[in-house]
Amino acid sequence: MPSEDTKERIAKVIDVGRTVLHYAWIPMIIYVGFTRSNPQPSLIKCVTSVPSFILFIDFFRQTH
Amino acid sequence: MTSPNPYLSPPPSSSSTSSNPFSSYLNRFSKWRAELGLPNPGSVENLQKEVKTTHLTNYAFDGGRADLTKSMSMSPLFQVTHSFALGAQNMPSSYNFGAIYATENVFLQGGVDHDGNVSARVNQGWASGHVSKAQAQLSQTPGHNLLQLEQDYNGQDFNINLKAVNPWPTDLTGIFVGSYLQSLTKNFACGTELVVQRPTPSMPEIVATYIAKYTGSDKSWIATAQVQPAGIVQATYWQKLSEKVDFAADLQLVVTPMRRDAIATLGAKYDLRLSTFRAQLDSTGKVSALLEQRFTPTFAFLMSGEIDHFKNSAKVGVGVMIESSALSPEEMEMQMQQMQMQQSLNPPQ
Repeated sequence: MPSEDTKERIAKVIDVGRTVLHYAWIPMIIYVGFTRSNPQPSLIKCVTSVPSFILFIDFFRQTH
Repeated sequence: MTSPNPYLSPPPSSSSTSSNPFSSYLNRFSKWRAELGLPNPGSVENLQKEVKTTHLTNYAFDGGRADLTKSMSMSPLFQVTHSFALGAQNMPSSYNFGAIYATENVFLQGGVDHDGNVSARVNQGWASGHVSKAQAQLSQTPGHNLLQLEQDYNGQDFNINLKAVNPWPTDLTGIFVGSYLQSLTKNFACGTELVVQRPTPSMPEIVATYIAKYTGSDKSWIATAQVQPAGIVQATYWQKLSEKVDFAADLQLVVTPMRRDAIATLGAKYDLRLSTFRAQLDSTGKVSALLEQRFTPTFAFLMSGEIDHFKNSAKVGVGVMIESSALSPEEMEMQMQQMQMQQSLNPPQ
């Protein structure tokens, strides 16, 4: 049985991991998608999808 | 993200096992089993897949809806979706952004709604029928987070699935689900699903479900039954009446000392050339229908309606689905040719 100290540390690590996943998951998919797409889309083509996402993130930051 | 899997180790080769009588028996047993030629029964999760796609319970909506999908690439698949929903009776208006990236073995999906709740899903396929899956719901509100880890193994004539929902490593609380489905004859498969709930380390609670599935010889009909000894029975029947018409029936019975209840649902699906029409009738007095009309390959119009005769209420939904591609027509054609080339080089089994 792990000690109380270890348990607390594990809980903290999980919480940090959860927060990282929360903010990084969608940017990660978009990054992977754009870099591995065939043919690689030009930045102009991203304009229609990414800015709305950035605007949305801004909105999200303001509300929280 | 993968749970340790005992099936990943390679099977012992036949030449090295002649010295051990036990493994030679095992070898003969697996050979005999392969000679039976039993089909894979499919997973327990997909037991009622045909019924669920025929019924419109999972497809019905009310209010207005719009889905705008933009495909950046076809292989690997990469697309982003903006979904809007408004005016539903018991759901607030919402906006959802989704992204999907998929190759042959990997599937990544992410979604975020206007409240900042993120949903994530990863599927990783390994060789020989193993699939690891993980999904998560991440929210600012405590208590709304969900993590599910899953390992699926499709064998020659069986399927094993292990799942852990919200596992907590220090005290091993959470919900753990294990299911096993085995083909016994070419048509009949049966299995069981065990759900172990451990909300606190001291009181685990185990619920078993017994499952049977009978598939017609020409796969034109499927009957399934699920029984929980506590008094819950679910039986379904699905039949392909013709190329374009599917029919499905579903009966749910709850007979416990606390509650006696039964719901029967009948539904039909028509796949026409440019549209899909689903109609459904159930024993709670609800009649519903859904029309999905595709005007062009990139534009679809949806109409959903439901009348509850016993409660005297009605719901209507209207939606559009627009798909656009970031590729020029020439690029699309080139990718199609590439995909056809790949398919002719390694034909699907």
